[in-house]
Amino acid sequence: MAVIAVTGKGGTGKTVISALLIDHFSTDRKVLAVDADPDSNLPEAVGIKDYSTLGEIRELFQQNRDSMGTISKEQWLEGKIYGEAVNESKHFDLIVMGKPEGEGCYCFVNNLLRSVLRKLMKNYDVVVVDCEAGLEQFSRKTVENADYILIVTDTSKKGLATAKRIIDSTEELKLNFKNIYLVGNKVNSNGEGNAIKQFAEKEGIIFLGNIPYSEKILELDFRGEPITKLLEDTELNNHFREIFKGIGGINDH
Amino acid sequence: MVERAKVKIPKRAKKKESKDEQEFPFDISPMYEGERVRKGDMFVELGGPKQTGFELIINLPARNVQDMKSTLVGDDLDGLEEGKSYPYAMIYYIAGSQLDNDIEPVVERRNHDFQNFIEGYMHLNQRYDIWVRINKDAMKKGLKSLNQIAQATMMLFKNEMPFIEKIEALYITDGDLVKKLLDEYAMPVYEERDARVETLHDEDVDEFYSCTLCQSFAPANVCVISPDRPSLCGAITWFDGRAASKVDPEGPNKAIPKGELIDPIGGEYTGIDEFARNESGGGVDKVKLHSFFDYPHTSCGCFEVIGFYMPEVDGIGFLHRGYPNPAPNGLTFSTMAGQTGGGKQIAGFLGVGISYFRSKKFIQADGGWRRVVWMPSELKERIEKYITDGVKDKIATEKEVSVIEELKDFLKAKNHPVVTGVVREVDGEKITDGWVEEKEVEEIKEEVPATQPEAKVTEMPVAPIPQISMIPQSGGIKLVIKNASIHIEKIIVKRKDEK
Repeated sequence: MAVIAVTGKGGTGKTVISALLIDHFSTDRKVLAVDADPDSNLPEAVGIKDYSTLGEIRELFQQNRDSMGTISKEQWLEGKIYGEAVNESKHFDLIVMGKPEGEGCYCFVNNLLRSVLRKLMKNYDVVVVDCEAGLEQFSRKTVENADYILIVTDTSKKGLATAKRIIDSTEELKLNFKNIYLVGNKVNSNGEGNAIKQFAEKEGIIFLGNIPYSEKILELDFRGEPITKLLEDTELNNHFREIFKGIGGINDH
Repeated sequence: MVERAKVKIPKRAKKKESKDEQEFPFDISPMYEGERVRKGDMFVELGGPKQTGFELIINLPARNVQDMKSTLVGDDLDGLEEGKSYPYAMIYYIAGSQLDNDIEPVVERRNHDFQNFIEGYMHLNQRYDIWVRINKDAMKKGLKSLNQIAQATMMLFKNEMPFIEKIEALYITDGDLVKKLLDEYAMPVYEERDARVETLHDEDVDEFYSCTLCQSFAPANVCVISPDRPSLCGAITWFDGRAASKVDPEGPNKAIPKGELIDPIGGEYTGIDEFARNESGGGVDKVKLHSFFDYPHTSCGCFEVIGFYMPEVDGIGFLHRGYPNPAPNGLTFSTMAGQTGGGKQIAGFLGVGISYFRSKKFIQADGGWRRVVWMPSELKERIEKYITDGVKDKIATEKEVSVIEELKDFLKAKNHPVVTGVVREVDGEKITDGWVEEKEVEEIKEEVPATQPEAKVTEMPVAPIPQISMIPQSGGIKLVIKNASIHIEKIIVKRKDEK
């Protein structure tokens, strides 16, 4: 099992890239998609409409735990997660983290969640996590570690600044990752593309490629249609495949 | 106690038996734990959201259990249609010289673990919620009968839990029989077990459990979880602690042998004191589980409710997290929690879990419910049925009072036990003297009549303060005041000049 965390500044296209990665890997591998960004819309991007979230189940647990008698709370949670929070689509499964915690103590329930997710993740070859703009969640949240970190940036100064911050934070957070990758998105010109490439070289991370600015993505987004429709365009499809091929390690899983 | 007996199988029922199987057409290993059978890969579903199902462990005398025998009543796998859901019951009879009925739920939980060791077989949930999926691949590999599953599971039970000397299984897929047995056979047992949660007390067990799950927030805190005292966060009961410590003895929930009973009313045990000293690095010397003032349990950062002493009325108020307004003492939850949290032992403040209000030993050393004078109406409604008889209407909420003065009037009007003196329910001892009308206050009134014209000073009762220890965070002084009433006009505190 390999965990790949997709991160970067908000609005750079993390969710688009995550959706394309999920599609890419699920042609021949078992994939678990994890939407870990409360502001994202990964389910819509991969074409899943009705879904339950882990946050909802966590709240249900908090409300019901006093009346659970002698039953096992971990088994209760596992049953809810396996039965309701794992949204099955044809080629992959999806988990949505949902709303962050409310008031009160979540130490116990989060500890149980971590243990259930650890078991669940073993079922898959690849776990793609669509993250918030940063990796802090790995140190304290329910998904414990990432093997690969894929940073998405656009051509803006802010996009690259966030990328830099993320690279710096990997040291502090002691994430046991194998590689950091960079993908440029919404790139208009060769000059912009080169700047992103040079940034990657300077930071010592692996540059996967640039994705040109695309009206099609905006259009699909606008209509709320799955991003994967993008791949009906053969030329684009080949371009993405070429980019994702660079994620070396994962292809061994 | 519900009588334990074997199920009477109807004579004309379709029946299949097996015994002492050793070879299985599937792998058995902990690596399959958590294995998920997706809808598209599933041969059949047993129990689950669409069908009745249950699992049950029944403890019987050894002579009634036929070791390693399994019986299936109803259709076997070859009679089931691919992609469909069917009713399912798994009943195990166990016997062993060390077994009693209390062990049944502990053993029953493990059915989930062991069945998940079986490749291609997903088991979820427990009791009447069980949900099983069998993978098509398992059928391809040669799985033929549910008796094979029963045989493999029994083998695991006996290997992993050697105190089970004999085990026999009865699996059922006959829908009518599953329904009938769930209602008439299994439910009474489940209900009995849940009732046990209410009737099991500290004195009935040999071990309590620690919890250090929240030490990242409150490094010095160690919860001691006993049958009569669930964790402060409200999430972990003694049963949870026991289950967790059995799975991972060195994990966040460790067993604490309770040792000798030192104080039966306060709930002090040699085992807990020793444990508290070790875990706190000497910071905490003693812990009494059911005491509010005298060596109370430490408070983490996670507690659901804070209890606070109000010397003006010699009573205790409780305030839950999420109640935004100040209590009658003028303080909000977060202010008081900030003073108390982090694993400190502070007399006069105590963090508790909401389920502690259910406890028969609820702060019994300091008068229990008879010492409680105020709580928000939301909290009061939630726990109303656990309040001792005769006190319920005497406990004020924010609907009746908002400041101490009003609280005093309320308690006096209702003749709350704190007014005349609290007689402890547990042993009948009178532990407080009640409010004493203060004579000196009249003199004060003469001296400063104009400053507080609105206060009805002459009628103000001053409560004797039983014992307040103030331990400042930085350490240095400890102030213990017993039965004192103090009038101070002016205090000057000066740093000592060092020469």
